[in-house]
Amino acid sequence: MSIQHHPNDDTLLRFSTGGLNAGLTLVTQAHMHICTQCRDRVAAFEAVGGALLDEQPAAALAPAAFAQVLSRLDERPAAAPAPRAPRQANLHLAPDTALPSVLAACDIGRWLWFGKGIRYSPVRLPWAPEANVMLLRVAANCAVYPHTHAEHELTLILRGGYSDCTGQYGPGDMAEADADILHQPHADDEGCLCLAALEGTMRLDGWLGKWQRRLGPYLGLY
Amino acid sequence: MLTPVEMTGPLDAAAQAHLLVLVGQTRDRQAFAQLFKHFAPRLKAFHLRANVSDTAAEELAQETMLLLWRKADSFDPTRAGVATWVFTITRNLRIDHARRQRGIVPQDWAEEDTSPSAEVLSLEAERAERMRCALAGLSAEQRRVIELSFFTETPHAGIATMLNLPLGTVKSRIRLALARLRDLLGTES
Repeated sequence: MSIQHHPNDDTLLRFSTGGLNAGLTLVTQAHMHICTQCRDRVAAFEAVGGALLDEQPAAALAPAAFAQVLSRLDERPAAAPAPRAPRQANLHLAPDTALPSVLAACDIGRWLWFGKGIRYSPVRLPWAPEANVMLLRVAANCAVYPHTHAEHELTLILRGGYSDCTGQYGPGDMAEADADILHQPHADDEGCLCLAALEGTMRLDGWLGKWQRRLGPYLGLY
Repeated sequence: MLTPVEMTGPLDAAAQAHLLVLVGQTRDRQAFAQLFKHFAPRLKAFHLRANVSDTAAEELAQETMLLLWRKADSFDPTRAGVATWVFTITRNLRIDHARRQRGIVPQDWAEEDTSPSAEVLSLEAERAERMRCALAGLSAEQRRVIELSFFTETPHAGIATMLNLPLGTVKSRIRLALARLRDLLGTES
């Protein structure tokens, strides 16, 4: 797989500092699993964090801090409560399509209609229920309605591909969009399966946008 | 009774790695005491700068040191510097801490595999020192935005408000600072 599009430095920096929201973090991790270049960039940013930590002036600890930690060294770590098994709908994916391993603990909903040739499946992160994450499937040669984003969108192509005004995207590629980009992704001949996360909401352009603003809250689009 | 006062001056990267490997291999409490002396006060300072309360910063520092003890045997000195390794532990704890405050069960970080590639691994040993030099090479303004990115969890908009600058200026300043860091580190994008 030859990856052409990567998350930008801002995004990887925020990932490294822990400042990226849980949904965008999940999609970034899924990309990093298959992209050594981005793992290296994140390692470099984490090293910035390490250097900043190392040169902090020492703050005064509680007088008993060391004794407290020392007394806990032999303590057995509290067993984490067994996580509930995630609820994952059968998405009827092609047998050779594996979802990213970062989705293993997430709830995955069934496909829902989102326009002609477009289905989405809501993904729920147990550790961040508010995160706006979804799988998106666009049929061959179908286009997503033109839209912009309130803040930030990351889309990782899992299978197939699409093109829009910003370029062509194939498996492993990460597409990044924000309020400055009005785009209309157009799936290629194979169709497209992606994992997307939003910060803020997606804004449809034109008359559909008016309906979205009116009906969105009822359709779970926000 | 062990005390964490056995040395003078901060630990350099090589000494940190040596001590952490000792902790991992032999559960050496004296080595742990020296790492505690170095890192715990810096961890607390790091979190205090992120605007958490004194109590929370103290707790995060102590919890990080406890995890350092428990995870020490998984530390590989050829993969990352100790300070970087400690930073990632404390960053994840801070995220968990914020989630717990909202009543959410934290995520299992163990599943995350973000180990760098083989090319980077060989560089890790010397990276800490080079990074220090690179940070020193930033302009004061650039350093400020990079620090704020690490010390605050607010996105760029928050940093813009804090510095009373337009969002675009903050974004481009961060971008320039990252490019400069890359130059100084001699790595290509």
